Amino acid sequence: MFNYTLRRLLMVLPTLLILVIFAFYLMRLAPGGPFTSERPLPPAVMANVLERYGMDEPLHVQLWTYVSNILCCFDFGPSFSQKDRTVNDVIAQGFPVTLTYGFWSAVFVLVLGIPLGIIAALRHNGFWDYTMTGLAIFSQIFPNFVLAPLLVLLFTLSWGLLPGGGWNGGQWEYVVMPAIALGTSYMASVARLTRGSMLEVLNSPYIRTARAKGLPERTIIIRHALKPALLPTLTYMGPVFVYMITGSVFVDVFFSTGGIGQDFINGAYSRDYAILLGLAILYAVLTFALTLMVDLLYAWIDPKVRAGLS
Amino acid sequence: MQRRSFFVAALATTFLTTPAFAADVPAGVTLAEDQSFTYRILDEFSSFDPQIVEDTYGSDIVRDLFEGLYNQDADGNIVPGVALSHEASADNLTYTFTLRDNAVWSDGTPVTAGDFVYAWQRAVDPELASPYAWYMELMAIENGAAIVAGEMEPSELGVSAPDDRTLVVNLSKPLPYFTKMVTHATTFPSPKWVIEEHGAQWTRPENMVSNGAFVLEEHVPKERSVRVRNENYWDNENTVLEKVTTLVIGDDAQGLTRWRAGEVDMTDIPAGQYPALAEEFPDEAFALPRLCNYYFNFNLASGPEAFQDVRVRQALALAVDREVIVERVLQGGQFPAFNFTPAATADFEMPDIEMASMTQAERDEKARELLAEAGYGEGGEPLSFKYLYNTNEAHQQVAIVATQMWKQKLGIDVTLENQEWKVFLETRSAQNYDMARGAWCGDYNEASTFLDLLTTESGYNDAKFSNARVDELMAEAKSSSDPQPLYTEVEQIVAAEMPVIPIYHYSTNVMLSDAIQGWPMNNVEQNWYSKDLYRVAD
Repeated sequence: MFNYTLRRLLMVLPTLLILVIFAFYLMRLAPGGPFTSERPLPPAVMANVLERYGMDEPLHVQLWTYVSNILCCFDFGPSFSQKDRTVNDVIAQGFPVTLTYGFWSAVFVLVLGIPLGIIAALRHNGFWDYTMTGLAIFSQIFPNFVLAPLLVLLFTLSWGLLPGGGWNGGQWEYVVMPAIALGTSYMASVARLTRGSMLEVLNSPYIRTARAKGLPERTIIIRHALKPALLPTLTYMGPVFVYMITGSVFVDVFFSTGGIGQDFINGAYSRDYAILLGLAILYAVLTFALTLMVDLLYAWIDPKVRAGLS
Repeated sequence: MQRRSFFVAALATTFLTTPAFAADVPAGVTLAEDQSFTYRILDEFSSFDPQIVEDTYGSDIVRDLFEGLYNQDADGNIVPGVALSHEASADNLTYTFTLRDNAVWSDGTPVTAGDFVYAWQRAVDPELASPYAWYMELMAIENGAAIVAGEMEPSELGVSAPDDRTLVVNLSKPLPYFTKMVTHATTFPSPKWVIEEHGAQWTRPENMVSNGAFVLEEHVPKERSVRVRNENYWDNENTVLEKVTTLVIGDDAQGLTRWRAGEVDMTDIPAGQYPALAEEFPDEAFALPRLCNYYFNFNLASGPEAFQDVRVRQALALAVDREVIVERVLQGGQFPAFNFTPAATADFEMPDIEMASMTQAERDEKARELLAEAGYGEGGEPLSFKYLYNTNEAHQQVAIVATQMWKQKLGIDVTLENQEWKVFLETRSAQNYDMARGAWCGDYNEASTFLDLLTTESGYNDAKFSNARVDELMAEAKSSSDPQPLYTEVEQIVAAEMPVIPIYHYSTNVMLSDAIQGWPMNNVEQNWYSKDLYRVAD
């Protein structure tokens, strides 16, 4: 298991390097640049600006400078569009925001989705099953860009219970709607996944054996069925969790949270290469970390996998 | 030899009698207990640094935090800021500003002429590499261009401070509108000692020292920035607002929802919703004239052969029914345009343009005649081309309507093509188009900010129009005491040559809570100062 983890970690650096190179050149292929504007800059001004950001060098030199600055000093460069700030500043400010509402959103997804799925499976083809499945499908047809305006309409305009957006240092009133808007359709998927795998597990021979042994239903569900039934959900939640904590472009823009989701889209529009690369790296690192964690959890849950690893 | 301009005398009186440059609360108005103002912007601004900021949102904030030589009043006229008056030399090449002696920075240090010298040198310094260095070149400050190009030292800029209260500016050409340009953020003073201590971090709330009516209290990028009253500001006793909050809300509809919920006092109106909102909130929905124009560029360099024929260009211009575009499509109080410079521009007299006085039926008739004469359209050679615009719903609607008019009236086939903003800018400036959308907002309130675009050398002349007489007239206007006749002639040449088709002049559509008073509705540059605003009680 230790060797396995080490092997995985060793893979991270070369993969990241390939990603950086690929993203770096790909971005430069797009027409326009960070300093293309309605009023074209006079050549002398443009030359100064390009020099200031090191963009007067050939591309491979720029790439080398970029990578070496990261390796030496963890310096991801200055932002082109937010001129008073560096990429580190931008991420340090925005990431905690998306992490916060992403985390609560994930809690919402798991706390609601898993029990819903289990109840539906236990009452298979019964009233609760149909209600839960109906509810799950209903939530899934509400993508966040439909749900968010609806939530605001109800909670802000009609009832005046919650502020329509903003962050305000992450007070709970400001977190509720982004978390629900982001999580609802995932919650529905988790409920349906859990229900499906729970049903499969409940029909497997070892559960029949347990029942034949006369174990109480409660013990069967919690001790024997739940863990394997959660495997597909776990696989699903790994990448989804990364997506959630790095923020959704829509939720960030709509609720004006100030999270980094917004920077993806603004960075692309303003050709802020530094922000885009920085975010790509952050996203990649998180994906690595989370998938590794999921794999290790897998090993912990499933003895077969554990045996395979060592 | 120095001559005291009329303007200086006028200023001195303005200063001495009525200080009409602070919140002007009429008698009998009850002010609200909570003197705060919250407004919404679409996205994060570029900077708080006066010499670096390059966008409107950022400039609005910088105007609150810093004060330049002059401010603008509610009508856009210049009124004293840090400077009380100025004298111009007879040749208009030297301006001497007299600074007030009671202006102080928020840390208590007096504001001196040296702070302006430092700031202006900083703006052109290649080391700072401000994208707005061009503004200093536009102001024609001596040696500005050479310093930007790295050929001279920043210390050689044509600006000096013989003493703390006197700022002397030398120009390389006599710009008649020079004093209007010193209300721009790039020309605001900056605190050398703070910048030297904190470097690029000097604009953080904890480090920043500023000399405007407000100081920066909090900044959460992409979410909010808060500025509060500057107790050290020289006119602090006339400031009414205590706190101004800028919220970033990236979605127009959501901005409106939060305005309805009372979370913001001011927001832009989403496209097309002005008529409905004006009916629902007659006292709070505004369509304000704005110093911007909207036009179609003909690619005269490498566009279709037919565009070389002025009759074709005229025919296309005539056939566009601006009333329909403005009244039916945009519905936001825009103004149909037949000339390039917006009517709202200061001291600008609208030229007589034949097309403007015709009815649309007459225009259509003439368009058909001209096109037939040129040998195109129905009965002649078929004409087709592509129209390029940047992806945006309103631009798309204008494009569809205009091209349908050409199709129906003149039988011309136009293919629409849209591109993402930066791609569009590249394509257009490389002349890889037939006809393309163009728009311009004035950098200062004077006609040359628009008409200069049509000179051969202009970096924004995407039509690649070149007319020796226009170049000559615009060069002459730079030093003329009465440039209006020159501008009229330029407009008439443009109307005859039609290198671009003027479509409309802009308006800004905003929702502004009726609790907030003092907004400069008539300032066409929409340069507003929070120190002029106040909140009335319900």
